[in-house]
Amino acid sequence: MPDPVTLAVLQNRLSAITAEMGEAMLRTSYSQILNSSRDFSIALVDARARLIAQADHIPVHVGALPWAVRALLEAFPEPEEGAVYLLNDPYHGGSHLPDLTIFIPVFAESRAILFSVVRPHQSDIGGATHGAYNAAASEIWQEGLRIPPIRLTESGRLREDLLAMLAANVRHPRDFRGDLAAMIGAARIGVARVEATLAEFGAATLTAAIEAILDAAERHAREIVGTWRDGTYLGEAVLDDDGHGRTDIRIRARVTKRGSDVVVDLTDSDPQSLGFVNSSHANMQSAVTMAFAFLLDPELPRNEGAFRPLTVKAKPGTIVWAEPPAPVTLCTSHCANEIIEAVITALAPACPERAMAGWSRRFRIALDGTDPRTGRRFIWHLFQARPGGGASSAGDGWPAAGEWHSAGGLKFGSIEITEVRFPLFFERHEFRPGSGGAGRFRGGDGSTLSLLVETAGPSLANTAGDGTRHGARGILGGADGAPHEYRLVAPGQAPRPIATKETGIVVPPGSRLLVESGGGGGWGEPRERDGAGSGT
Amino acid sequence: MSGYAIGIDVGGTFTDIVLAAPDGRPGGNVITAKAPSTPADQTEGVLAGLQLVAVSLGLSLFEMLAATTRILHGTTVATNALIEGKTARVGLLTTEGHRDVIEMREGLKPDRYNLRMPAPAPLVPRDLRILVRERTRADGSIAVPLDRPSLAAALDRLAEARVEAVAVAFLHSWRNPAHEAEAAAAARARLPGAFVSASSEVLPEIKEFERFCTTVANASVGPIVRDYLARLERRLIASGFAGSLLVMLSHGGLAAVAEAGRLAAGTVLSGPAGGVAAGVALSRLGLGPALITFDMGGTSTDIALIQGGRPALAAPRGLGEARIALPSLDIATLGAGGGSIARLDPSGLLQVGPESAAADPGPACYALGGERPTVTDANLVLGLLDPDRFLGGSRRLDRTAAEQALARLAAPLALSVAETAGGIHRIVNARMSDGLRLATVRRGVDPRRFSLLAFGGAAGLHATAVAAALGIAAVAVPLDASVLSAWGMLNTDLRLELSRTRLDPSGIEADRLRADFAAMEEEGRKKLAWFSGEISFRRSADMRYGEQVFEIPVPLDGLDWNSCSLETDIAARFHDRHEALYTYALRDEPVLVVNARLSVIGELPALPPIRIPRGPASSPVAERRILLPAPLCVPVYDFASLRDGQEIAGPAFVESPSTTILLRPNDEAHLDGRGWLLLQPAAAISDRA
Repeated sequence: MPDPVTLAVLQNRLSAITAEMGEAMLRTSYSQILNSSRDFSIALVDARARLIAQADHIPVHVGALPWAVRALLEAFPEPEEGAVYLLNDPYHGGSHLPDLTIFIPVFAESRAILFSVVRPHQSDIGGATHGAYNAAASEIWQEGLRIPPIRLTESGRLREDLLAMLAANVRHPRDFRGDLAAMIGAARIGVARVEATLAEFGAATLTAAIEAILDAAERHAREIVGTWRDGTYLGEAVLDDDGHGRTDIRIRARVTKRGSDVVVDLTDSDPQSLGFVNSSHANMQSAVTMAFAFLLDPELPRNEGAFRPLTVKAKPGTIVWAEPPAPVTLCTSHCANEIIEAVITALAPACPERAMAGWSRRFRIALDGTDPRTGRRFIWHLFQARPGGGASSAGDGWPAAGEWHSAGGLKFGSIEITEVRFPLFFERHEFRPGSGGAGRFRGGDGSTLSLLVETAGPSLANTAGDGTRHGARGILGGADGAPHEYRLVAPGQAPRPIATKETGIVVPPGSRLLVESGGGGGWGEPRERDGAGSGT
Repeated sequence: MSGYAIGIDVGGTFTDIVLAAPDGRPGGNVITAKAPSTPADQTEGVLAGLQLVAVSLGLSLFEMLAATTRILHGTTVATNALIEGKTARVGLLTTEGHRDVIEMREGLKPDRYNLRMPAPAPLVPRDLRILVRERTRADGSIAVPLDRPSLAAALDRLAEARVEAVAVAFLHSWRNPAHEAEAAAAARARLPGAFVSASSEVLPEIKEFERFCTTVANASVGPIVRDYLARLERRLIASGFAGSLLVMLSHGGLAAVAEAGRLAAGTVLSGPAGGVAAGVALSRLGLGPALITFDMGGTSTDIALIQGGRPALAAPRGLGEARIALPSLDIATLGAGGGSIARLDPSGLLQVGPESAAADPGPACYALGGERPTVTDANLVLGLLDPDRFLGGSRRLDRTAAEQALARLAAPLALSVAETAGGIHRIVNARMSDGLRLATVRRGVDPRRFSLLAFGGAAGLHATAVAAALGIAAVAVPLDASVLSAWGMLNTDLRLELSRTRLDPSGIEADRLRADFAAMEEEGRKKLAWFSGEISFRRSADMRYGEQVFEIPVPLDGLDWNSCSLETDIAARFHDRHEALYTYALRDEPVLVVNARLSVIGELPALPPIRIPRGPASSPVAERRILLPAPLCVPVYDFASLRDGQEIAGPAFVESPSTTILLRPNDEAHLDGRGWLLLQPAAAISDRA
């Protein structure tokens, strides 16, 4: 084992490398979804598909990247030095189609020892609808282009023909090519920095340090888990529906905690669905890992060692692990959020001080219309009206901070900028008081929005999301948060509820979208709430 | 230069004073002093420091101040109020239907994996965010006229709540400030003692979250800064001062007291800005156009980039619960300094920082009750600090206490005390070089193209190792390194930063842009009407491609503003800048100007240059035994006695009362007569040294 000082230097170095890759990605990516909402993940994964270091971007990818490396190694057991690999297929290690994953191996002593991995979310990946979310899809081919693990290079050079073929299958080929170049650039920076570290310290020292870093994280994680109450616990979370007529789809977690080990068994979850709420295998693994990570200490490095106490069991053909060719695009939101909620709800009695009540669910709207001021067509995505975060032993939930899978990571745009750019008028956009679940600590409030649509002629809306039937779960006696309530009021017509999985809603000019977004869940008995109501 | 000029930098521990005398004074033309800072009333420490300078001039305080033309001041009053949460009670008047803009935080929450973290209290609680019935549209037209009864009722509520300050922030006031102006006037009339700040006066730019938050922050420190500056000015005048008192702002320029009081939130980087201003001055004096300022203090290390002789301005920054989007120097802070604590983390790995012992209790070797080992303790045990000469001998360091603190860490690591000390030194070097690399990459530059300008108490011991690890070829330590911020204030100009949001949907409209700049120039001249010197202007714009979210600042100096192809010329500037920053440009895409910016600069007289005399090389004044890692005997040179051109080979120390510079084996250095020691790190030395 390297001396403790070298170990400290290398631990710091590995996380600095992933942070630098993230910065490069942020600065060079072309599409808005990457450079503004930071919807991407960066990691170093070793040749045994173990997560070594990860930059903190989108939590829902925390446990997914190692599964992608595993799929890559199945397809390419002997990766080539200097080669660049790509995949997105959820049935080959991916989470959902819009998430492309780039891998470049780092070699030491003519052996691939690490992979520099970059995964951004693309704004479009082809398929039947713009923007990848297709509530009507009943097969994965309707969701977009599938890419099993492929090698993008030949003799170290990118294959232009292959890139052209990929770009020809998406709606924004320039964004696609630009982002792909940024991804490869970021991954190469990771490779160069690891190579410099290898040159400075040697492969033996680096690999020994990695083992020591993983072991240390495991020790720390086990120490934490060891303080939880032993037992077998049940947790359940319920999806509203699948958009194809099936309602109340249940995710069931049976969690056994013994000593410093946790077994999460999702086998009893409901069968898979016809619609895009199904989870891919990697996404299910990632959601469980994320739930576990939320219960540990935020300071604990998120690497394979920290997750060693965790074992995941699930059954193919269920909602959490769909079999092909089921569609899965919504899964990084739903049912990832329900998997997290089921696991944390189950473990709440084992570690009440660490468990947090439910964060809210995602409910997106995309509006496709024409701006009367310019005559130009526009597509607008609703990011405003964020729902509330869950409460915890530390205090009330964050208001308007979002869903489990983004946890305060999704920025909404300026209303002033939005009104300049789109024919929309925000009559009201503020907190929705009372929407957070009651409890000793209350769930964070959601938001209320009254949006006047001032388009030329009718526009069309699509939705994707969940949570109009079920609110964010309260725990330990706390109440659930209020569910979402979205309505459309067209001029001269009665208000019409908007469902979470609709396509082609006609929105006449002068309509109002009235959004009441859900609140977070409450924590603990409401009668134990002190007068001041603050968490500290 | 007719009289004295005095720079005053109030820091957390010391108040630094630098006085520059007119040319020709015998015995040098710069006098420095340090007095303990007095947080309860910073003017006490300032006056005490000025007294010390007067004594060394052989004058009374009154005589000295009467002969002083200008005083340049960096203050931490606003910073401290925000960090300690001791801000004024603020009421916010805002647009009906949009009560929670400042608390929604655009949906963002820091610390992504920490879901057990209560939301911090906003600077204005919800019950003091009062709605006024009014609404302006994005094009400046009025959707809902200002409802006077609702305004009057809102002001009654604020009067009842006894607020000390009022922020007025309405939607789209960047486009049409009429409603805000009326509400602000009504607030001033109804609440005569209150500090009133309207968002269109503070930051007339689009994006409500930034503008509202900045205005609220400005109101929350406004009364405090205004009162402090008034008190200081009063005391200086009472002590004989009849010149102008100017305040250092976060953007690195100086402003008159009235302007600094009005834009109080613009003083939060007042102190560190002096260090960057010093970097700019040294760059001009011959240190080269590309510098990284490296200010290593007790709790953290501040880094700023100077390129082409100019510092960069940054995106909005957070401080305490405040978010301030006023133009501000782009200063990055690394959580590692001399006081950083070394510890075992819960998984048993050795970590240094980010927790710091700060000044109280301070490192274990201060013997003020600190028991946990810090970087300073490690440096002392390694022999890198002289226990008798620390801070000019004003604080004796206790080596035994440092060893004891290190021993507690050494035991579980199975290392010796010396090995532990060497390890801490090496880890902090690695943390800083990794952090500095990241800070430069984040700004799109390669650190190897820069020189490192090292200052602040702890920088001299770590700078060459950090530089070597990054491939930086030169490190400069200025002679007045310990009071560099105050010296920098003496070397900067008056500056106003004006802006107008200009969102022409059709792209760039040259005539409107010309009109905006003309209007801003007039506003600038009017605001600096009291100033008798030269006024110059610098133009720039925040620009982006139509569909992007982030703007980038684009300098527009040197364009022909009468050219018929102005639109294309401006667009070309943007494409080039975009390509330089992000590796690509989309020359067929439409380009948007979001904000037009004008820097109005009032040039202050330059200080006479420093000249260190030539002469026979000075000899070492002492010798010290160090462990780095092997024991070595190292000569110690006195910084002030070095002569122009004198060369020193490592290992060696160069010391002044407040700075210790370490030359590692094979490092080389020579004294530049213009006022700095220039070090060349031995290329072979990495962060393992």
